[in-house]
Amino acid sequence: MGENLQDLYRELDVFFHPRGVAVLGASRKEKKVGHTVLKGLISGGEVPRPGLQGFRGGIYPVNPKEKEILGLTCYPSITDIPDPVDIAIFCIPNTAVSAAMRQCVEKGVRGAIILTAGFGEAGPEGKQLQEEFVAIAREGGIRVIGPNCLGCLYPPNDLNASFGITLPYPGQVALFSQSGALVDCIIDWSLSQQYGFSAMVSYGNKADLDVPDFLAWASQDECTRAISLYIEGVGDGRRFIETASQVSRLKPIVVLKAGRSVKGTKAVSSHTGSLSGSYAVYAGVFRQAGIITADNLTELLSISQALAFQPLMKGRRVAIVTNGGACGVMCTDYCQEVGLDLPDPPPEMIDRLDSSGLIHPAWSRNNPFDIVGDAGPERYRAVLEEVMSSDLYDGVIVIQTLQAVTDNLGDAKIVVEMSKTYRKPVIAAFMGGVISREGIDYLSEHHIPNFFDVKAAAYTMKALADYGQYRARVSD
Amino acid sequence: METKKIIDEALAEGRRALLEYEAEEIFSNYGIPVSPGRLARNAGEAEAVAGEIGFPVVMKIMSPQIVHKSDAGGVKVGLTRPEDVAAAWDEIMDNAAAYDPSARIKGILVQKMISESGGREVIVGASTDPQFGPVIMFGLGGIFVEVLKDVSFRVAPVSPEEALRQIREIRTIAILDGVRGNGPIDFTALADLISRVSRLMLEQPRVSELDANPILASEDGVRALDARIILA
Repeated sequence: MGENLQDLYRELDVFFHPRGVAVLGASRKEKKVGHTVLKGLISGGEVPRPGLQGFRGGIYPVNPKEKEILGLTCYPSITDIPDPVDIAIFCIPNTAVSAAMRQCVEKGVRGAIILTAGFGEAGPEGKQLQEEFVAIAREGGIRVIGPNCLGCLYPPNDLNASFGITLPYPGQVALFSQSGALVDCIIDWSLSQQYGFSAMVSYGNKADLDVPDFLAWASQDECTRAISLYIEGVGDGRRFIETASQVSRLKPIVVLKAGRSVKGTKAVSSHTGSLSGSYAVYAGVFRQAGIITADNLTELLSISQALAFQPLMKGRRVAIVTNGGACGVMCTDYCQEVGLDLPDPPPEMIDRLDSSGLIHPAWSRNNPFDIVGDAGPERYRAVLEEVMSSDLYDGVIVIQTLQAVTDNLGDAKIVVEMSKTYRKPVIAAFMGGVISREGIDYLSEHHIPNFFDVKAAAYTMKALADYGQYRARVSD
Repeated sequence: METKKIIDEALAEGRRALLEYEAEEIFSNYGIPVSPGRLARNAGEAEAVAGEIGFPVVMKIMSPQIVHKSDAGGVKVGLTRPEDVAAAWDEIMDNAAAYDPSARIKGILVQKMISESGGREVIVGASTDPQFGPVIMFGLGGIFVEVLKDVSFRVAPVSPEEALRQIREIRTIAILDGVRGNGPIDFTALADLISRVSRLMLEQPRVSELDANPILASEDGVRALDARIILA
């Protein structure tokens, strides 16, 4: 019963820590996939970013028509490569894949990433071609990602084994997506946000490796602290539940499932040729397996990041600390909407704050802790010390509205300090843009989730509470 | 009768839909509470069953060819005396013959009539999902499932603890917690029922779908008032 997560990890890790990578169908021509992929391996990607580097293991272009591409020796066939090749990226027509797969078996390749489309998603002939190469791979001990996918990226190892635009910043979230285009967009977005990934895999038709395999690998990968999924269908549903249930006990899994509407479900089928059942059943399945559901892409990414960096939340009781009353009210609304509790401070806490000399006489003496518009870092510190050290609260949402006297960097430093001291989940809503830039960037560098909209802050806190509750339950 | 045998016999007759009394017997085999009752093959037996289980009773025609029992005049409720049972037997049989002379009559199910006061109707259904296998659905009866689609799902196996979480997911949970003078229903019993249904689905691959609708849930227990099983 259940998968052996470590066995699967060892099998799949070759895709993330290969000794050598071959590019089948490598090309000199700039517009070709075989060129982009090769360039991605050599330099990290087409789009520069600070710290971008290429893969330091073996890179081997394969193309019988070329002797050299981008300064590397080009081989007529994979079997001509003298060094060990652990993975091969296929940038060749669908009709050529089976023959190439046989050569990979001969070479002793352990992983194949097939970018080419025109297989199971494209009708009966394509399906047959797919079955053919899968059989060859299975017999030859090769695991396959794809076909019809973007490929595989592993920033901690500077490995861009994909058709993606560039390697994202290294981070702690592993994303597995049924869509390649989505991965590309997310990479581009992530560069502007300094949002890092431990791994990104677009797995396409999942002819061989499927989500449960990637979940198992990610559960053991030391760089991954949270797992993000974009899925349309699941294939073997029971295997999905069993593996996801095992993995979610170790690391949080967040899912965005598309194909909720009738039309959406039909679109799913033509996209990757997979079946998609009723969303209500999936919703039940996710809850049963301890998977957190995201409503949209923004949520998927922000919740995954929050879960990756914030400590496990022990309950559902939240303190809202704010220097703006309106935002405190809105945040309260959203927190209640998502079933978070907002206990009021006990008299002793109120008294201590009143006598501290640091708090405004007109502060709210309630939850939300409205500490008034002129609040500075020391006032935030006084209140945060109280709520973070108190057994009454499991998490804190810190709102900073931008006022004339606001010291946004000072406030941000307090938030980070408190977060490190008390190891309790903190979510910030430092609301501003240009003037609050320093504070917002400081929070970002220290991995404190920050939102302009308190709704997002509340919904993210809910995800932390739900996952924390699940972990507490399964550890009994 | 053993579950395997009930299913074997129905399939041997070329039937995929089990009759209520057959489905209820399988439910009983799995510890799912149903109304006390038995199939009677003649009027005398009907009276005997009624005497055994206690009045009031309901009587329902059991025939593979008569699906809409009430429409066919095949249901009599609120029978309080042996004479009523005898009279109802004749009436039901006459109605059935008039409705469909070629219908094969297995007999008449004589069941204890359960008082519904203080009870709330819920539905537990199960089907076989191509991806996930047996899936269990829960919801409040009537418009809550049909119109509001206020239902929650789990994949078998469902432990009683997981079933309780499934139950509490529905939006109208307050009705089960107790409104308008009603106390809370017996959640333990309901969660146990869901768990048993999930076990049935896993252990009986020949069962493709089932419905326990309605289930009467009250403060001191739950009971399926009707049962439907469709074979694969």
